[in-house]
Amino acid sequence: MKFQIEDVTVYFPYDHIYPEQYSYMIELKRALDAKGHCLLEMPTGTGKTIALLSLITSYSLFKPESPIKLIYCTRTVHEMEKTLAELKLLHKYQKEHLGAQARILAIGLSSRKNLCVNPRVVAAENRDSVDAACRKLTASWVRAMAAENPNVPTCEYFEDYERAGGEALLPPGVYTLQDLRAFGREKGWCPYFLARRMVQFANVIVYSYQYLLDPKVAGIISKELPKESVVVFDEAHNIDNVCIEALSVSVRRQTLEGATRNLNRISQEIDRFKATDAGRLRAEYNRLIEGLALRGNLPTTDIWLANPALPDDILKEAVPGNIRRAEHFLHVLRRLVQYLRGRLETENVEKESPVGFLVSINNHAGIDQKTLKFCYDRLHSLMLTLEITDTDEFLHIQTICDFATLIGTYARGFSIIIEPFDERMPHIPDPVLQLCCHDASLAIKPVFDRFQSVVITSGTLSPIDLYPRLLNFHPVVSRSFTMSLTRDCICPMVLTRGSDQLPVSTKFDMRSDPGVVRNYGKLLLELVSVVPDGIVCFFVSYSYMDGIINAWNDHGILKDIMQHKLVFIETQDVVETTLALDNYRRACDCGRGAVFFSVARGKVAEGIDFDRHYGRLVIMFGVPFQYTLSKILLARLEYLRDNFQIKEGDFLTFDALRQAAQCVGRVIRSKADYGMMIFADKRYIFPNSFSITLTSKILNSLIKG
Amino acid sequence: MSGSHSQLAKKAKYKTTIKDPGTPGMLRMTLEKFMFTPQNPKSANKVDMEFRFIKGQKHTKEDPTKEKPPPALLNLTDRQGGSYIFQFDNFSDLQHCRDFVGKVLSKSGEVSERPTVTCADEQLSTAEMELRMKLLQEDSELQKLHRQFVIGGILTEAEFWATRKKLLDREASKKAKQRVGFKSAMLSDIKGSSDGRTNKVTFSLTPEIILQIFAEKPAVHRAFLSFVPNKMSEKDFWTKYFKAEVLHSTKNAVAVAAEAAEDEDLAVFLKRDVILENEARRKIRRVDPTVDMEADEGDDYTHLPDHGIVREGSKEVTESQQELYRRNLSQDINRHAAVVLEGRAVDVELEDTRAIAEALSRSKQVNGESDKDSNQEKLDRISRMTEIEDLHNSHDLPLAPLCIKDPRDYFDSQQANALRSSGDLLPGNEQIKCNLSTHEAYGSLRDSISAIKRGGLKDPIVKPEIAFQVFDALTHSISTTKYNIGRNPQESILDTLPKKTKEELLHHWTSIIELLRHFWSSYPLTTTYLYNKVSKLKDAMSQIYRQLEDIKGTVQADFRHQVSLLVRPMHQVRTFNSSLSKEKDAMVKG
Repeated sequence: MKFQIEDVTVYFPYDHIYPEQYSYMIELKRALDAKGHCLLEMPTGTGKTIALLSLITSYSLFKPESPIKLIYCTRTVHEMEKTLAELKLLHKYQKEHLGAQARILAIGLSSRKNLCVNPRVVAAENRDSVDAACRKLTASWVRAMAAENPNVPTCEYFEDYERAGGEALLPPGVYTLQDLRAFGREKGWCPYFLARRMVQFANVIVYSYQYLLDPKVAGIISKELPKESVVVFDEAHNIDNVCIEALSVSVRRQTLEGATRNLNRISQEIDRFKATDAGRLRAEYNRLIEGLALRGNLPTTDIWLANPALPDDILKEAVPGNIRRAEHFLHVLRRLVQYLRGRLETENVEKESPVGFLVSINNHAGIDQKTLKFCYDRLHSLMLTLEITDTDEFLHIQTICDFATLIGTYARGFSIIIEPFDERMPHIPDPVLQLCCHDASLAIKPVFDRFQSVVITSGTLSPIDLYPRLLNFHPVVSRSFTMSLTRDCICPMVLTRGSDQLPVSTKFDMRSDPGVVRNYGKLLLELVSVVPDGIVCFFVSYSYMDGIINAWNDHGILKDIMQHKLVFIETQDVVETTLALDNYRRACDCGRGAVFFSVARGKVAEGIDFDRHYGRLVIMFGVPFQYTLSKILLARLEYLRDNFQIKEGDFLTFDALRQAAQCVGRVIRSKADYGMMIFADKRYIFPNSFSITLTSKILNSLIKG
Repeated sequence: MSGSHSQLAKKAKYKTTIKDPGTPGMLRMTLEKFMFTPQNPKSANKVDMEFRFIKGQKHTKEDPTKEKPPPALLNLTDRQGGSYIFQFDNFSDLQHCRDFVGKVLSKSGEVSERPTVTCADEQLSTAEMELRMKLLQEDSELQKLHRQFVIGGILTEAEFWATRKKLLDREASKKAKQRVGFKSAMLSDIKGSSDGRTNKVTFSLTPEIILQIFAEKPAVHRAFLSFVPNKMSEKDFWTKYFKAEVLHSTKNAVAVAAEAAEDEDLAVFLKRDVILENEARRKIRRVDPTVDMEADEGDDYTHLPDHGIVREGSKEVTESQQELYRRNLSQDINRHAAVVLEGRAVDVELEDTRAIAEALSRSKQVNGESDKDSNQEKLDRISRMTEIEDLHNSHDLPLAPLCIKDPRDYFDSQQANALRSSGDLLPGNEQIKCNLSTHEAYGSLRDSISAIKRGGLKDPIVKPEIAFQVFDALTHSISTTKYNIGRNPQESILDTLPKKTKEELLHHWTSIIELLRHFWSSYPLTTTYLYNKVSKLKDAMSQIYRQLEDIKGTVQADFRHQVSLLVRPMHQVRTFNSSLSKEKDAMVKG
């Protein structure tokens, strides 16, 4: 259908529209008109994505003289594919009505792992090894060598792409990752580099959050995007966590060991070059004296992950004299690794501010702040000079340099926590030095500054006034929409007692009580015998889930459950979990029915839908509070209290609420869907501590969505 | 049936009750009767019984998972409720006898009521015959029809079954495809039994369990194929296997690693399953893209090692050496469920472990070949998932294809039509003025024409209220019938009739349907055979109509009206038929 919102004609690919979609578009248009940021909450299952896409593309069509670019950020690759599929539908509709005028170029962007079509490269196991395998075939020096020696292998897809030069373009259209690969295969061009280049021409780019938020990735991919862009963060309820993770690094024993190995290898390489090609090292030294750490225009294939610090904080000045020479830099790194090793040998938990840590490094290892700050770029330059292609082997030293650069750059918003062992397993020594960021506004600040409109939207953003504080921005529009329901398609329930009338809870003092475990088991057993198709269960943590599954197995409850439905379990192994999910879906498709055990805050809870028959019932065993004894969490809470006046309890409740709402929201994906939701914990109803608000909030948000 | 099948003799024990230890002897069975002669000729427990007094049989089932097989018992019950229990030495004897009795019983059921089953003009295999008999036995209605028409000589056997090809096919295909899947229960349920005094634990294995172990643990499967019998005996193999299982159940990865270092063969069972991992890597490429979390991993730069915040659970503190030997319950459960879902590729009638192992690897090869993923399907799936259905105009109106499975439904809904046509208008219809005089109608038409001339066509042409009223009036009976049937079926007229009348009516109804089916299938009448058939059918029908009239006459006065209403549609069919068939006759003759 085609309709007017004020002066803009909106092309919407369906015959009808939900009222909330319409009001959503109106608010969104206001934000675009005001060229400001906005925060919009609308329950899942109301077609947020299509409303966003159709308004923004229509807005762009309405103003052809200054077309805006849409940068759409998703959390996961499959959400990216779904978004592009919706865009395809919309694009088809717009072309029917407007013809050639509506033509756009929309691409999805991902890593080499998901885009590469070279069978030799893509066979590698993980992303880093795919990246390295690609570099081995495409790095500028490898190609230079291949030009002289035909026996040096190169990537034919990349070579053909290079040969095509400026001719290598994507025709207008909507390209999912799958389409990009297909196009690349057909033309013989490398889809990854093609997509990277098309970023500057594309009207719509769909990619992962990190491509904007993580300075390491954003620095290479999102550098040249114009200010006249609209950035959308979809499903953004966890955006603060993505932001702080992007700036956090941890160092362990294994990291230090690996870094030492890397340094030895680098040292060998330096010696080799000194013997064979001393000129190269000298050339690098001269370049460093002249100014920037890196040569101006690197071939795209040589580009590495960029500096971990945010663009505004990177110094545009010459590398300090004491690390210009390769050997000297190596010495600095060795001292740093040595120092960190000493710090890890602690008996007690230590917490320090970056400033204190810097002083300590300076005293003990003689490395000053500015040197630390340049570590990353200096390492990058050295590795290029040494023509190292197997970058996946050098991740450890890279981590150390990330750490050094971050700690040299930021004095506030971070803390360093050293834990000699995991709180819950004190007998296993496992020291970790964690540099953790507490301030989510740091990473997202450049995005708010650079782009004219940033849209943050999700199904659960309540309390909606908390996000502007956490992310430190001022939205021009901040609205929460409710879902109009024509029938009762959800049935939320709170269960506080088991069949023996004893209260159930995952509260710390109760969770290992065999009575609670048994009651939870009986609850599930009764439900699997009556609920058709798929059932999803969420537990508060992996360790709790493992414990409860083992207990159920010992008591024979698991066996009884299996009499009714097949059981699949989320594990920490992504491949295994993916296969389990795939099997789960097939079991639901064929009518066998299945139960999926999953973890709140896990990958499944974040991104997988259990819509339609894939989830007729969801059970939330317990309240998914964060592990409150975690030192990192405590430090963050303290920071939030001191700097944003957010109370600890409030933040924890808010966090548990959004997780629980996300978990149970998995079963409803559209208004045609229906499902039952059970919250099994006495704290969902008891008016003690802070839970009374929790229940009412969840129920409210449920009635909304 | 061939001669070898006409009798049978097996060693068995005769038991008067289940608890009775039983009298050993010989059980002989012929087509007519079964006899038991005890070994000890003095024993009083002789049996000589004709099959026609036997009502049915029961027998115990073989359960391969049980350690001690249950006794092979066959229980023949006669029509007076007495029973004859025989215990056989093994299940194959029991099976023979069971099949024999089954055949004889199904036959005698037919024989006593019907002299011939087969028709001269067709050669039927025994299997087909049995299938037909089975169908007849299962469905008493079908049996009645069969008796009435085939034995009554109106239809031939072939004609009768020709219209039921589907039924036959379905039965046949059901038999071929049904295959027992794996058990839902996990294998961890095989617990060893210890004798309590020594440190020995005994495990018992059946082919069923072995197959499941092989299917769930490809490494064990491969080890078996390569080790047995060259390197070790089958018994040693399983001893090692269970030793490994017991070790794993201690959940002590260090101890497991130590054991594995000592015994190279044992290590095979203790290590992580490499084949499974490779298989997983292969399968991951075909996974539904909407659940592909592996792709996310490949895109997610915060999951560079040591980047991001260490969260609860994402930390794994293990030395790589021991990691090889770590195994957890979740993996086992996932693997088990995946295997159950895949279903069983091998029939376990195989007794030999080696045969099972080989059959499994053959079936795997076949699976490997059929491994082709189609991108198109993936894409279709995504676009299907993304579309919001309820925002689209529905393109095709929801229509249910007409399908009269149970004539009763049709019968009930007809009754309302009958009520209506008899002028017994329901309240609500009465307000509508149905009769207009010609003048009035003409005047109204003229008025509306001139109105259109003046004002042009209005939108909408017909006022919605009027349209609704008309529609409502036309469909009233349909909706009320539906209402009646849906809400309280016990109130349907049919059920108010005496039981006998009701059954008769229903029977006639099905008979007429059956006859009509044959009647219409005979057109066009191109041969004299068909002509004869049709006339035969017509006679049979008219007989039924006469019977219907009789029923009408016999029922009590207060039901008579309703019965006649019910019977009317059947009569209508008849009059329609007869007029039509006359025309057709004329055509054929002309």
